[in-house]
Amino acid sequence: MRVVVADDVMLTREGIVRLLQAASVEVVAEAEDADSLIRHVAVSDPDAAIVDIRMPPTHTDEGIVAAQRIRAEHPDVAVLVLSHYVEPAYALRLLEEHPEKVGYLLKERVFDVAVLVDALRRLADGETVVDPTIVARLVRRKRQDDPLDELTPRERETLELVAEGLSNSAIAMRLFVTQRTVEAHVKQIFLKLGLDANPASHRRVRAVLAYLRSTG
Amino acid sequence: MLLLLPAAAVPAFAITTIVVPTWGIAPPTSYAAVSAGAHAADLVAGLGGLAAGLLAWAEPRTRRLGVLAVAAGALWFAPDWEGWEGGPSIVRSLAAGIAPLLAALLAHLVLVYPTGRLDGRAGRWIAVVLYVAAVTIALGQALVRDPFLDVGCWRDCLTNSFLVHRDPGLASALDDGWAAMRIAAGTAVALVVPTRMLGGSPAARRLLAPALAPACALGGAEIAYGALLLARPVEDPRDTAFLAVFFARSIALAAAAVAITWAVARQRRVRTAVARLAARLGERPAPGTLSGVLAAALGDPQLAVVYQLPDGRYIDAAGMPASGAPAPGRVATPVRRAGREVAVVVHDAALLDESSLEREIGGAARLAVDNERLQAEVFAQVADLRASRARIVEAGDAERRRLERDLHDGAQQRLLALSYDLRLAHASAVRDGNDRVAGTLAAAVEEAVTALGELRDLAHGIYPAILTEAGLGPALATLADTAPLPVGIRQVPDARFSATLETATYVTIAELVDDAVRRGASHASVGLRHHGHELVVSVSDDGMDRRAAPIHVVDRVGALGGAVRVKGTSARAVIPCA
Repeated sequence: MRVVVADDVMLTREGIVRLLQAASVEVVAEAEDADSLIRHVAVSDPDAAIVDIRMPPTHTDEGIVAAQRIRAEHPDVAVLVLSHYVEPAYALRLLEEHPEKVGYLLKERVFDVAVLVDALRRLADGETVVDPTIVARLVRRKRQDDPLDELTPRERETLELVAEGLSNSAIAMRLFVTQRTVEAHVKQIFLKLGLDANPASHRRVRAVLAYLRSTG
Repeated sequence: MLLLLPAAAVPAFAITTIVVPTWGIAPPTSYAAVSAGAHAADLVAGLGGLAAGLLAWAEPRTRRLGVLAVAAGALWFAPDWEGWEGGPSIVRSLAAGIAPLLAALLAHLVLVYPTGRLDGRAGRWIAVVLYVAAVTIALGQALVRDPFLDVGCWRDCLTNSFLVHRDPGLASALDDGWAAMRIAAGTAVALVVPTRMLGGSPAARRLLAPALAPACALGGAEIAYGALLLARPVEDPRDTAFLAVFFARSIALAAAAVAITWAVARQRRVRTAVARLAARLGERPAPGTLSGVLAAALGDPQLAVVYQLPDGRYIDAAGMPASGAPAPGRVATPVRRAGREVAVVVHDAALLDESSLEREIGGAARLAVDNERLQAEVFAQVADLRASRARIVEAGDAERRRLERDLHDGAQQRLLALSYDLRLAHASAVRDGNDRVAGTLAAAVEEAVTALGELRDLAHGIYPAILTEAGLGPALATLADTAPLPVGIRQVPDARFSATLETATYVTIAELVDDAVRRGASHASVGLRHHGHELVVSVSDDGMDRRAAPIHVVDRVGALGGAVRVKGTSARAVIPCA
């Protein structure tokens, strides 16, 4: 697998690059800002880009903007945005236009090189990756007359994995059940929560996240 | 002394009208004696001057103008007295002596209209030269002219009571001089008003406009009279040309009397307006009343009354910053009390000077000035305090934003890089089969992850970066994600506001939600509405009643000029926004 890494802080960038090299992932280019990232992606034709959310010049949301641009201009290139922020708003924005092959992970998540490689592989397969911390926070959010109380513990578990961006087959493997069981769970969850999105589409991740965020 | 003049003018006028001009005498000894029409014109002109002068005299602010107008009206009748058939020769000689002063007096009158003050070097010179010439000619005539020997004599050909030395040649030359002086004075009269209007401001033009036509007519008639006297050595009142010029002079003088009356009426209006202001003092006039009243009274809509703060800044009546330095064409006139400047009136340069301003503002209005100045100072102090409060809060917010960013870009990044290294070292320890080191390193990585989590919460607590980057909606949603009780969020506007306003709103809501937790609420509901020029925050919950809004919220909202109201378990903050 060939990746481009973009982070304006050298220490962090080097850390990610060494982790990737240790896992035998080929780093074809390193970028310090969004513009050079876009150039490297166009030139090197990587499988994925790992992008810091905050980059020059404004250090706000350059990473999200660059990710959306890469997804729009190079549909084959997956983008993984790394961030310090447990902010569903960023993840939702990232999933807004091109909900597949994009991921939002906390930077400390990728200490575990296995997690990083797994995320890259899932993205390459067309899945979505949302940091479990964000999902956990949304699922555990305090609600009045919580609609999630209607779910069985297994449905709840399934909901979290859907929100994290896993496909039905990946969920089936994770929970040691058949894919058919997962499909039934997902259908049941969507019914109970009154979600009208197609339970099989790529957009279900965003629909679930937005639902979790909006119910108080 | 000055009062004697109008007092004497009244009986003089009475005698002139009844006794002096005698019709039907051939040849006539005055223009008034030529015909009933000429007599009427003579009376209208002189009487008009006297009446306008007396009116102006009665009005304190036009008294000087009144003195001049009364003198001009009286002098107008001097030739009639000179031609008083059968009158005492001392009276007739005296009248003949003072008659030449009229031309200079008319020029003076036009130069000082409407204030009564002689402004400018040129004006002073014109007046002095004309008076000197008039007095010289009058004195010369009185001392050397023997009317008996004068071929052109027609008003009084009998005696000159002041004659000292008979000199017909010099007397004739002085006659020509008098005619020339009329032309010079007439030119001055005709040109002064147009010249002053051309060089003056709009307000000055408005003041001078009523005098334009009378002054030009008066000057033109004097020039014509002088030219006619030079052209024809013998003045004959029955001659059509001379008679026409007499009528023209009479009508022009009557018109000038009207212009003076207008100036008096205008001053009366000013005084009434100031009196009204004084009357309103009992009702505590609203800020800005004084400048409004003065502007209306003086006919200068741009007039402004400003006050100086002890630190040198100028403010208007509402305490807003104002300029004490006048724009071109305008002047700043100070109002002083006991040597101290209490106010500055910025007005049209032509309207006022310091002493007349003192009179305009008057004793009663001084109270208004004081009242308004004190109020303006309080307003300005309040505005200063509010600005200072807002600056303090803003500086605090900026500092928190900077701290959050420093943490993110510094400590968080370093800890992260360290963790990557630890992870790599752990991997290599595992590869080498060094279990003890691998275990220690795994624990270190765990510690680092925990530290990163705590650092992130700390940074978010110092300042939520999402607020700057995505606005109130996402920031409040995240607040609800992590709140220890269910928080329902309604109606958050998508619009972005200033960082100060967004931070104040966020902090207000966060504090009120915390307060709900402290009061044992099981859920809270947050509403946010953008209502014209204000942002309305409402937080309600089901805890115990709120006793008061948290002081931090009161300070925050107050710093932006807003207010917090608490009722039962709900709190409502209204924050002004641009």
